[in-house]
Amino acid sequence: MTAYLIRRFVTSLIVILGIAFITFLAVHIIAPSPGRAVLGDRASQAAVNAFNKQAGYDQPVWVQFLKYMWALLHGNLGFSYKSNQTVDSLIIENAPHSMWLSGISLLLSILIAIPLGIFQAVKRNSVADQSITAFAFTCYSMPQNFLGLLLIGFLAISFHLFPSEASQSEKIIPYITAVRANFLPILTLTLTAVAAYSRYMRSSGLDALAQDYIRLARAKGLSEARVLRRHLFRNASLPMITLIGLSIPALLGGNLVVENLFNSHGLGLLFINELGNEDFNTVIALTLLGGVATVVGNLIADVALTVADPRIRIS
Amino acid sequence: MPPVLDIDHLSTHIQLRKSVVQAVGDISLTIEPGETLGLVGESGCGKSMTGLSIMRLLPNGGHIVEGSITVDGVDVVKLSEREMRDVRGNDVAMIFQDSLTSLNPTMTIGKQIAEQVRRHRSVTRKVATERAAEVLGIVGFPRPRERLANYPHQLSGGQRQRVMIAIALSCDPKLLIADEPTTALDVTIQAQILGLLDDLKERLGMAVLLVTHDMGVVAGRADRVNVMYAGRMVETAPTKELFARMHHPYTQALLGSIPLLTQERHERLFSIPGIPPDLTEPPKGCRFAPRCTRATDQCREVEPALEPASTDHWFSCWHPVDGPIARVVVASPTAADANGSGTGVTATSVGGGAAPAPLAPAAIVPERQWEAGADDANLLMIDQVVREYPVTAGILQRRVASVKAVSDVSFTVGRAETFGLVGESGCGKTTLGKVIVGLEKADSGNVTLRGTDITKLGERELRRFRRDLQMMFQDPIASLDPRMRVGAVLREPMQVQGIGTHKQQEEVIAELLSEVGLPMNAVERFPHEFSGGQRQRIGLARALTLNPQVIVADEPVSALDVSIRSQVLNLMKRLQQTHGLTYVVISHDLAVVKYLSDRIGVMYLGKLVEMGSGDDIYHHAVHHYTAGLIATVPEPDPSRERAKSEIGIRGELPSPVDPPSGCRFRTRCPAAQDVCAEVEPPLRLFHPGHYAACHVPLQEPMPEDGNEPAVSAVSAPSGL
Repeated sequence: MTAYLIRRFVTSLIVILGIAFITFLAVHIIAPSPGRAVLGDRASQAAVNAFNKQAGYDQPVWVQFLKYMWALLHGNLGFSYKSNQTVDSLIIENAPHSMWLSGISLLLSILIAIPLGIFQAVKRNSVADQSITAFAFTCYSMPQNFLGLLLIGFLAISFHLFPSEASQSEKIIPYITAVRANFLPILTLTLTAVAAYSRYMRSSGLDALAQDYIRLARAKGLSEARVLRRHLFRNASLPMITLIGLSIPALLGGNLVVENLFNSHGLGLLFINELGNEDFNTVIALTLLGGVATVVGNLIADVALTVADPRIRIS
Repeated sequence: MPPVLDIDHLSTHIQLRKSVVQAVGDISLTIEPGETLGLVGESGCGKSMTGLSIMRLLPNGGHIVEGSITVDGVDVVKLSEREMRDVRGNDVAMIFQDSLTSLNPTMTIGKQIAEQVRRHRSVTRKVATERAAEVLGIVGFPRPRERLANYPHQLSGGQRQRVMIAIALSCDPKLLIADEPTTALDVTIQAQILGLLDDLKERLGMAVLLVTHDMGVVAGRADRVNVMYAGRMVETAPTKELFARMHHPYTQALLGSIPLLTQERHERLFSIPGIPPDLTEPPKGCRFAPRCTRATDQCREVEPALEPASTDHWFSCWHPVDGPIARVVVASPTAADANGSGTGVTATSVGGGAAPAPLAPAAIVPERQWEAGADDANLLMIDQVVREYPVTAGILQRRVASVKAVSDVSFTVGRAETFGLVGESGCGKTTLGKVIVGLEKADSGNVTLRGTDITKLGERELRRFRRDLQMMFQDPIASLDPRMRVGAVLREPMQVQGIGTHKQQEEVIAELLSEVGLPMNAVERFPHEFSGGQRQRIGLARALTLNPQVIVADEPVSALDVSIRSQVLNLMKRLQQTHGLTYVVISHDLAVVKYLSDRIGVMYLGKLVEMGSGDDIYHHAVHHYTAGLIATVPEPDPSRERAKSEIGIRGELPSPVDPPSGCRFRTRCPAAQDVCAEVEPPLRLFHPGHYAACHVPLQEPMPEDGNEPAVSAVSAPSGL
C-alpha cells in the first residue's frame, strides 16, 4: 500500500509540474509583456520596459518559469497587480466560499443520487423510474446557466421564495449561515450533479441486481430490504467512487458558472473577473489549482476504491 | 415416510415483452428423504426453471401458472412471500453454478454464512459465527476459523463452491437443490465436490435435487433420473434402468451423442439433427417429434402422455425404443494401435436391446483422401517452448517473480494428425495454443511450421504465415464481432491477406458455408441470429477461409450442448479428411480430446507430463496425474461410475508463480517420494511413441538405447 501511494504521489507531482509549465507558457504567449497590461494603454513604452525589467519579465521564458516554480515551492503564487495584493491572499479570501458551495452540493447530490438510483434500478421501467429519468435528462442536458436562470425566474422573481443573489458576506461564517440566500446556487449545482450521478447509479444498480449473489441472498431467505442494504448497496456504489472523484473538478468548474450567475464571492467569480483584467498571476494560479484538484480528486478516488473494494486492496 | 418434495403438475411461464415462454410444462416429480434425484436435459429445457420454481425465485416475468410444490407437507405455491422467506435457506437451500459470481465480493465468507444462520435461528452474532466455522469445517476447510475473514476472491473456484455448500448447509435444510454445481469446475475438483455432496447427504440425511446437463454426473450420483426436453418430463427411471433400458428416443439420442472414453474413435458420433423448439410456440404434438427419426403423423399431432413401463419407470412416447444405441467400443485394452484402423474393435450394445434401423451404428469414417507429402511427419514442431508472465511489485515495479505458464514443452505434429492437449485450467494449455499460432511470443524455444521457425519471424512475415495457422475459439459468441455480418466475418481474412477478387472471395464463402452446413443466406445475417452450434460452425468456417494447414481449436465444443456438440465434432472430423487439416485440440474434456486426437499430450502446471496415443493414455497411463485425471472423468455409465471408489486427485493446483521443486505434481501425487522433490523427472519412453515424466511410473519404461536423451525422440514419426 505504501509503495503504491508513493508511486501515485510521484506521478501526480509530475502531472502537476506539466500542468504548471503548459499554463505558464500559454499565459506567456498571450501576454508576453505584462507591464503593458499592468500599467495600461497610456503608459509610455519606457515605463513599461522599466516595469518588465524590474519585475524580471524581460528574461527568457525558462528562467521566468524556474523562478516562478521556485516561488511556488515556497508557497508564493505571485502578486496580483490588479487587486494590489498577493495571489495567496486572494485565494485565501475567496476559496472558503467556493469550497462551501461545492462541498455541500457534492454531499447533497451523493445523499440524494445513490438512494434514487437504487430505487430506479429496483423499480426499473415503472412510471416512477421513467419520470425520474425524464427529469434527470432534462436537468443534465440543460446548460447550467439556463437551469440557474429558470430557477431564478420561478423561485426568486415569480414566487419570491428565495433571493436571486447569493449572500454577499465576505466572512465565511455568515456566508454559510445564510441558507436562504445561498439556496438557489446550491440547488443549481446539486440538480446537475444528481442528474448525472443518478443515471450512473441506476445502471450500476441494474448490473448488480443481475448478479448471482443477489439471487443467492434471496435464496438465503433474506428480506428484500436486507438484500438491497447488505448486498446491493455497497457493490452498486463502487463505480460511483471513481465517478465522484473525477467530477470534483467539474464541480469546481460549475462554480465558474454558478458564482457568476448568482454573483457569489469565490474562486469561480474571481477567475472570470481576472481573466478579463489580464491579471496573469491570478489566472495561472487558479488554473494550476484546477489541475491540482483534478489530480487529487483522482488520487482520492483510487485510494478510496482500494479501501472499499476488497478485490483491489493492495497488500 | 412422506416425500420431502412432491411436485404435482407444475407449469411455469415466463412473460416476455410480446410473448410467453412456456418454460416448464406440466411436470410432476417426488423426492424421498435421503434420495438424490437427477434432473437432466440440455440448456433451455426447463430444468433450472423447475429448481427456481421450488424456491419461488423465478426471474422477472416468471410465474407459476398451475400445479403444487409440496415441501415437507407444505404447498409453497400457496405461501405468502413473507412465509416463503422462512422456507428459503431453511427447509430448502440452493447452490448455483458459478461460485465466483454467486458470492458477494465485498463481504467476508464468514459473514455470508452467518447471515443465513441469523436469519433463520434466533442466535447471537457470536453463535452464528461459531456455526459458520463449524460448517466450513464440515465442507472440508482445514482451520476454518481462520478462513472466516477471507473474501471470495482470495479462494479458488473449488473452495468457493465449498463455501456456497456451507451456506446451504448452515440451517440443516431438508432439501438441497444443486443447479449445475460442478459445471464451472475442473474434473479433479468436480470429483471432490460431488464426493462431498454425497458424503454430506449421507451424514445429514438431506434429499438432493441434482440439476445438470452432464449424464456422467448423474450416472454416478443420482438414485433416479428425470430427463427433461423442451419443458416436458420425457422419461423418469432409476439410474441404472434408465441408462440400460431407456424408452424415449431423446434419452437414447442424448446418451448416444456423448463421446465415450472407451469409444472407438473412427466411429462417427450419433447426433440429433436440428435444435430444440422455441418454447414461446411449442410444437403441437410430441415436442421432440421435429428432431426424432421415429416420428410419425401421430407424434406430430397428439402429444403422448407419461405412461408407466414399470412401477418406477415412466416415459412419454408413441414409438418407444428399448435400450441404448449400439456403439463400437474398444473391447479390450490391447496394445496401443496408433493407426486405429479397426483391429481389436468389436461392436457391442451395452444394454443388450436391439437398436432400431434409423439409429444403427454410424459408418466408420473412410480412410484419408489427401495426398501425402515429404515433410508431412514433422509439419509442426514445438521445441522447448517457454512462456512466463512477469509479476511486479514495489515503487519501481521491479520484476519479482513470474507466472510459469508454459515451461519447456516439446512435441511434433504430423500432417492431418490431431494432437490433443489436456489438463486442468491453469496448466498452460491455452497459452501454448496461442504461442503456436503466434498470438503470444515464446520467451524461448521454437515453433517450426514446415521448416520455418515462426518465433523468429517479423510482424510482416508472421502475417503471411497466419494463413497456415488459424485458431478456433471456445466462445462462439464472444469471438465473433456482433456488428459484422457473417459474410464480412468470412471475407475479412481474405481481405487482410489480399487474396482474390471480390467475386472470387464470394465463391470461397459460398463454398465454405455449404461445407460447414449453413444456408447461403447466412452471409447477410448477424452472429446473434444463429444458435450456439451454428455460431461454432461459423467459427470453423472462418478458420478455414485461408485454407490453413494447422487449426488450433481451444475448447471447440465446451460451450455447446451435448446434442449440438456431436454435430460439431463430426464436422471437424469430416473437414480434416477433406482438407488434410492438422488440429491441435485443447480441452479439459478428456473424452472429447480422446475422440478427436491421434495423440494426446497431458499438461500439468506448464509441463508436458505424458504423451502418447489415445489408447496409451487411456489404457496404459504411466503418470499418476494422467491416471488420476482419467479416474475423475464422469462417465455416462452407472456401473462404471459407482465402481469408482477413490476421489481421484487430491488437493488443488499449486501456484504457477512458485511451482513445486522437482516433479511439479508431487504435492498431489499418491506415490511421491523424496527423489520427486529433488530431481525433475525427464520424459522417458515407455512404448513406441509413448512418453512420460515420472520417477515412480505406473509401468516400467523401455530400456534406453545409448546416450540419446528421450526428449529428442519426440520428433520421431508419430502414428502416421
